[in-house]
Amino acid sequence: MPESQAARFLKRAESYLKQTKYKEALAYAGQAILLEPKNTAGYTLRAAIKSEMGEYAAAVADCDLALAINPNYEDALSKKALALYQLEQYVPALAAATRAVTLNANDASAWYIRGICLEETGKSEEAEIAYAKSLELEIILDIKEESRHVRK
Amino acid sequence: MKTNMPLSKPIRRYIAEAERLLDTEITLLRKPEAAPAGTLIDVYTYNVDKNVIIFPANYIGLLKDFVIAKQCTYLLVKGAAAEKGGYLVCSFNPESVYRGMRQIYLDALKDEVKKDKKLPVNKLIEMLFMLYRQFHEDISELPWNPIVNARVYHRMEQLRKTQLYILLKDGKKDMDEMSDMMEIIPRRYFVLDKSMFYARDLYLAKTLPSDKLMPVINIPQMKKFDHLEVKEMLTTRWTHTAWYQSKVFGDNMLEIMERYLRIDWNGEISLDYFADLYKSGVNMTNALIAYMTMKDWFIWEKPKHLLNALDKSEAYEREALTRIFGDLIEDQNVKGGR
Repeated sequence: MPESQAARFLKRAESYLKQTKYKEALAYAGQAILLEPKNTAGYTLRAAIKSEMGEYAAAVADCDLALAINPNYEDALSKKALALYQLEQYVPALAAATRAVTLNANDASAWYIRGICLEETGKSEEAEIAYAKSLELEIILDIKEESRHVRK
Repeated sequence: MKTNMPLSKPIRRYIAEAERLLDTEITLLRKPEAAPAGTLIDVYTYNVDKNVIIFPANYIGLLKDFVIAKQCTYLLVKGAAAEKGGYLVCSFNPESVYRGMRQIYLDALKDEVKKDKKLPVNKLIEMLFMLYRQFHEDISELPWNPIVNARVYHRMEQLRKTQLYILLKDGKKDMDEMSDMMEIIPRRYFVLDKSMFYARDLYLAKTLPSDKLMPVINIPQMKKFDHLEVKEMLTTRWTHTAWYQSKVFGDNMLEIMERYLRIDWNGEISLDYFADLYKSGVNMTNALIAYMTMKDWFIWEKPKHLLNALDKSEAYEREALTRIFGDLIEDQNVKGGR
């Protein structure tokens, strides 16, 4: 199946995001959303860009748009948790992170945010468990990354 | 602190303390191509106006926090030394490069006599400065590693399991380093280099002994380390391998480390405390250099001197080669013409 124009725009947006060229990334993500307004990936990518730009409230709004289309969209929950954490809204951030790890137990970032939020809300024992899970997943990713480098 | 990434509470507190103590700002930067151990670009060493800690983009949680904690501690050591007016780094000049390369050459000649397969002359010439620089790099970095690790271990309990994983990973990497050069470089230098890492690992194994490798045993690749303490793990690794020779020298280097690192790792955060850590590191470095009979290979100088030396390193190499080989050396054998 040929790649849609929106998918191409999303790839470009991602590439600009990696290069920290946020203005360009934002423009392409916006174009992708215009072309496919029901595509949740567009909103979460724009949320990621906005988070990188420090516009956390706007990032939360984009995640909510994605979640309105698909309430079980784990990536949106994970990114929402991160943005809410940055806004120091630890309780809703914890709720989003918890839901994210329920939907995808392999999201290291969501486990980590969950750990931080638990720590912030005084639940240090639970935080330790979340951190341990996050670390375990991070190490698996790191080992995979290392073997990829070795193969290269 | 300049960052837009999430950080656990202890690490935020640690950075804030460092910033307050050094009256500076720390910027955290995530980069896909960053070295796994992270990089510290600090105002005390480089011609920059802000302190930046760079870490790999794929480190998103505690791995990232640990890299930051380590680099932040290193910054505190450097910053405290600079504030107290005594921050010097291990540098080199044409004379010290000549002494180092000449010694390596003489040792290489002794080794070559015993070899069936001789090293081509151009390779031998190329190896002299490369090996010199390798030792400069290792002696500039390695002594600070146990200091920084021990401090982080004692001050940041939450990062211990992360630290154990990184130590195992680093130890493996350092152990494998130069193994493809084993047949090329003089055996003495191969063994000495490995011994430094052996001593570091054993020192850390002794200093950070209390945590087991849980919970990482849930990871298939780490299963074989199940029920092993880090001490056992690192010791087993070094004593059951081809680098067994490193043990003889490494045990002596370990003794040096233990002698110079009699430190209260839980000491309160202060400029005096970190300046003392710096002094211990310098003294230990000197003792290791002396043990390896490399006393006239390196000089302690201001960081600017080292930056300048690194810029001029090709010229220093050329000059040393001309002094060692005289007219025998042709210009094309020297870097740039190779």
